[in-house]
Amino acid sequence: MTSSNTSSAAPTPGSLSQAPAEKPSAPPINVLPSQLAQSYSLAHPVVLLGLCAWRFEAVVESTTRELLRDLPWLAALQFVYVITCLPPAGSSFGEVTPGPEDKKRASRSSTGSSAPVRPGKSSHRRKTSAKISWASVWARLMPASLAFGLTTLLATPAIAILLVLFGAPLTTHNVETFLCAAHMALLSSTPLIYVHGVDATVWKEVWGISRPADIVWGSALGTGLGAWFGAIPIPLDWDRTWQAFPITILTGAYIGYAMGGLLSRTPFVYGKRIQFAPGPADEDEKKTN
Amino acid sequence: MELKSTDARTSPSAGSSQSSRRKQNALQEARTRQLEQEFKTKHLGVLGILAWVLLLHVVGIYFFTKGFLLTRMVLETKSSCEILPTTDESGRAIPSSTESRSGCWHEKTFDKAVVIIIDALRYDFTVPFPSANEGQTAHLFHNNIPVLYETAVQSPSNAFLLPFIADPPTTTLQRLKGLTTGTLPTFIDAGSNFAGTAIDEDNLVAQLHHAGKTLVQLGDDTWQSLFPGYFDANLTHPYDSFNVWDLHTVDNGVNEHLFPLLRPEHKSKWDVIFGHYLGVDHAGHRYGPDHAAMAAKLQEMDRVIRQIMDSLDDDTLLVVMGDHGMDTKGDHGGESDDEVQAALWMYSNRGVFGRTSKETLLPPQHARERSVPQIDLVPTLSLLLGMPIPFNNLGSPIEEAFAGSNGNDWSNLLAVNRLSAAQIKRYQHAYAQARGAGEDDESFALWTAAEAEWSSASKGFLSKSNAVRSSYKLYRDYQRHTLEVCRGLWARFDVPSMVSGVALLFFGLVLLVIYARGLTVDRTDMTSPLLTVAGMGAGAGAVSGVCMALFGVVDTTIVDSSVLLAAFGSMLGGLSVLVKKPASLSLPLPNGMWGWLAFFFTVSQSVGFASNSYTIWEDDILLFFLTTFGVCAGISSMRQRATADRVLGVYHSVLFIVLGRLASFSRLCREEQMPFCRSTYYASSTSSVSAPWQLTIPVMVALILPGVVRAFYAGSKSYEGAASLWIGFAFRLGLVITSIFWMLEGADDGEWLPLGKETLKSIRVFLAQLVLALAFGAGTAAYLYCKPCITISVSKPTEDPNAPPAPFIAGQQQPPRTTVTILGFGNVYGTRFFFLVVNFALAIILMQKPMGQGAIALLVCQVLSLLEILDTNGLTLSNSSIGPIVLGLLGSFYFFKTGHQAVLSTIQWETAFIPLSTIKYPWSPLLVVLNTFGAQILTAIAVPLTVLWKRPLRTSELGSQPSSDKTANPATKLLSDVTQAATTHILYLATINLATTMWAGHLRRHLMLYRIFSPRFMMGAVVLGLVDVVLMLVAVGGVRWSTVSVGDVFGW
Repeated sequence: MTSSNTSSAAPTPGSLSQAPAEKPSAPPINVLPSQLAQSYSLAHPVVLLGLCAWRFEAVVESTTRELLRDLPWLAALQFVYVITCLPPAGSSFGEVTPGPEDKKRASRSSTGSSAPVRPGKSSHRRKTSAKISWASVWARLMPASLAFGLTTLLATPAIAILLVLFGAPLTTHNVETFLCAAHMALLSSTPLIYVHGVDATVWKEVWGISRPADIVWGSALGTGLGAWFGAIPIPLDWDRTWQAFPITILTGAYIGYAMGGLLSRTPFVYGKRIQFAPGPADEDEKKTN
Repeated sequence: MELKSTDARTSPSAGSSQSSRRKQNALQEARTRQLEQEFKTKHLGVLGILAWVLLLHVVGIYFFTKGFLLTRMVLETKSSCEILPTTDESGRAIPSSTESRSGCWHEKTFDKAVVIIIDALRYDFTVPFPSANEGQTAHLFHNNIPVLYETAVQSPSNAFLLPFIADPPTTTLQRLKGLTTGTLPTFIDAGSNFAGTAIDEDNLVAQLHHAGKTLVQLGDDTWQSLFPGYFDANLTHPYDSFNVWDLHTVDNGVNEHLFPLLRPEHKSKWDVIFGHYLGVDHAGHRYGPDHAAMAAKLQEMDRVIRQIMDSLDDDTLLVVMGDHGMDTKGDHGGESDDEVQAALWMYSNRGVFGRTSKETLLPPQHARERSVPQIDLVPTLSLLLGMPIPFNNLGSPIEEAFAGSNGNDWSNLLAVNRLSAAQIKRYQHAYAQARGAGEDDESFALWTAAEAEWSSASKGFLSKSNAVRSSYKLYRDYQRHTLEVCRGLWARFDVPSMVSGVALLFFGLVLLVIYARGLTVDRTDMTSPLLTVAGMGAGAGAVSGVCMALFGVVDTTIVDSSVLLAAFGSMLGGLSVLVKKPASLSLPLPNGMWGWLAFFFTVSQSVGFASNSYTIWEDDILLFFLTTFGVCAGISSMRQRATADRVLGVYHSVLFIVLGRLASFSRLCREEQMPFCRSTYYASSTSSVSAPWQLTIPVMVALILPGVVRAFYAGSKSYEGAASLWIGFAFRLGLVITSIFWMLEGADDGEWLPLGKETLKSIRVFLAQLVLALAFGAGTAAYLYCKPCITISVSKPTEDPNAPPAPFIAGQQQPPRTTVTILGFGNVYGTRFFFLVVNFALAIILMQKPMGQGAIALLVCQVLSLLEILDTNGLTLSNSSIGPIVLGLLGSFYFFKTGHQAVLSTIQWETAFIPLSTIKYPWSPLLVVLNTFGAQILTAIAVPLTVLWKRPLRTSELGSQPSSDKTANPATKLLSDVTQAATTHILYLATINLATTMWAGHLRRHLMLYRIFSPRFMMGAVVLGLVDVVLMLVAVGGVRWSTVSVGDVFGW
């Protein structure tokens, strides 16, 4: 039990002010500054959505086969995307040198302005001007393989369990659930792991949905929210074949992925965090989980 | 929780002067008494507010219901033998084709009749199961009553068999009304199945009685309440109809008295026998149709029918029919195909029946091919027995009965149809006059055409047979058309009344929103002005309502208009008080993520009820919401700074989600969910008994649940005082007895024990009553007098000299202090109040089937988990709306998980016999309520816990020290918080109720109204009223004793 309960007269544990973690955590991620990275990061969600739209008919036709067949393609696309556009974990590509700004951000993060982001941008602009060496390739392949390994081993089962907890059938449709989870994991977890590795502070923020908005976090959150909203049409009695279990959820996840990633790059959202505690700001964001 | 503090009052050195001490004590005592008195008074006031809310809800629901449920004017005119319906208004008799003396309106075919009703005889029971049906195997209910089909096929002139379509609601009482009056049922009667009332409309039984026939009734006693005094008192033998566990008493009784009457020497004693067998219906309710007991029962009925046929003479008609069918569970009441498709079979030794075409020669395999409405029995039986057709009848004579043995007696068909059509026309005319409305154009045209054909048929000789046939067809069209018109007409809604009901509910909701979420001051301070002004408003409204009704300004009865205006007046009064001081108001908008989440859950569910899909799949949607809440709780817990809060919060969030998902495996699918749903509540989808493995659930509940509750108590070191006796012993004992009860039940169903049914039943009743006595008798008494769950130990100061100074008594005399250790201090309010939940949980678990017991046990665990989540996330003291609203979601969710759906047929009537062997008012309905709405009752009782669980103790002397708050009495703050939680919980249910009401009203012409929207509306209304009552009397009521008992120990 909480220690504060012992002193009975005092108010209960810090309930009203739920400031995020005290330790400075990783700042919002930026897409690598190269021309290729910048343009592909914009094209990637469009490509994914296009793929989604193109294969939709086939998915409706034979769900499991098509989802399985698409899985390597999605993996390949995500691989290309993270390698080209995102700073790998443990590298200095996108790192921000911790400075006074960070402490300031930690203390007033609830108002979450994009102020601390600017220096980051300039810093990696400086560093990536160095030419790409073997070491840098290696520095990208290591996190990428880590990302894909963890996505398969941890993220997919975890998301599958989450899907079942939300009401996906347990005794039937197991293959569909797993494929859906695999797609969602590739969308959401792979870039997160690639960028952050297994940084405990970051992952604590991820579990608390308190990461500052950036392209990686935005698309991961978007995937989850999209899947959540994707469940809505399932019970309707429209008698459409696409209302079958994982299709709408996965479609929602793809749309959410694209929207989340793009939206959180806009300066209006970038760097902001979702607030739980009562406060006047950003009710739209808080309403959704 | 452990607390070490010095108790100033008992410290020996504190009192230097005895007299000043005594004075101080006296003062303090007076103050304590005063504070306690203040709390009790304000508590009563809060109950008054809740009663007011309840009244507003009841009035709103009443006005909507009055306009929404079908109404039909009952004309009391009776048909008489002397006046033919074909007589026009001037009294001049139009020449009739029947001049016969041997019948009233038409020549009678039979002198006597034996009418056998086999309750719930579904049509597919009676026709052979098609063997070549793509791999399907016959169920146990197939092919067990072949006599009806055999005779109809082998000797078509002696017998015919037809699907017999009931008008919903398919309850026996409603069906008997339809089968004797020939009118359509009105929805408002559906609820009166527990207490039938006499029929005052013209009906077949009354006509027979009036004609001096001797009527005998055997079996189901519903007939006695519908037709009191019509049956021969010496020969009639009614039997109690509601004991659905008993398959044989009624049937054996009917057999015992029926067969002697059929012997030749007794034939002169009677004219018509109504025999009503209940065994098939009870087998369905108890076991479901696909059970060996059903097969045995149907075979027994087969033998009975053959035996009756053997002893039948030529002048007696034998009718066998079902009054309704049964669904796949063996229940009925709704309007699914299985429930409305009964069977009708008529038999006579004389070959008088016929078929007019080759297609109708064989009984149809399915009701889709050909069927007759049940009301057709009324004119058919009337004319066959030479009786006048009852005045209100809308049925048509059944073709087979009048077509003659060659199937070509067109003139007879024309005659009977002209009679019934004319009677319908006369009734329509009278009805239209009484309502002041015109007649339907199309039916008038049909009638004129039919009359024209008829006169040409009676005049012209050449075209006679053609004209007879077309005239017959036109009369028939007229009758069927009128029937359809009436169906539409009696679905006429009283829209103004519905609108006023919705308006009342809406303004009630607005008031509730302001009261529950918008007030920033202590709610208990508002009580007296609120109630005073609301009372004045109600009085003024009532008076003006009476005046308006008296002076004819409004078109309603005095009572209605005064009640309506009183409700509005009280709401206006209440509103004026609430908004008078803007300073004490805040905009009642959701606050923060939790507030928005609660708002989102409530509103999105309410909006969803506009769609039949979301209404059908409500159980899955609730799971989705609950898991969403659990995930949000986990996320929020991850953000907590204190590690203990974080770990515990995440642990309980995960627990909450997993428990909910576990409970979701218990489900009873409604018909509309098929084929995407698999029922697990009973042994199989066509059964209503539990599978043997399910009998282990009560045992597991008894083993595990008390331990789980204990663990939650132990978490705050509160497993002290009465808790170990209550939870560790009494609760466990009750659960063990419950599991023995259900073992015996299973043994009875499966006939495992060599004990008689009677013995088993009486043992079971005793056990069940014991559990109820434990839960409600002993439990309530203990709740009223129990001490809080704490242990106080006093330790000498020498033992622990280095103990840190107590946190909240600092500043008083320090040196010689006694250290008081209070175990369970951190959760004194919550653990004390939770006993009430334990009591009700025990009773509710007893009343559930084994699967439901597991569900309720999971509910208790989930509620406890929720309370821990609320505590670790700091939502207990911030009066967040999420706690009460998630409790509302849990209540609705577990309603579905205890084998119910929002349809009438899933009411488990048989649970009334768990602790009783006969129907006893008011207990039997209460027991069914406890079974049906157990989950909602339990969650409503848990609502105060959302602010009491681990609420720190604050008494006035302690609280006044750090900051002299203006609230002198902390107990009223507690009361205000409890009230806020309770009204927030009501807010959830009231929103759902308003939504379902509005949607039902808006979609009143929707195809699915009576299948989906209307039952959901009724459920929402009943739950709202019930939870209002439970919150007022039990939950908020119970806070009085828990708070007083804490106050007695710790002061006020």
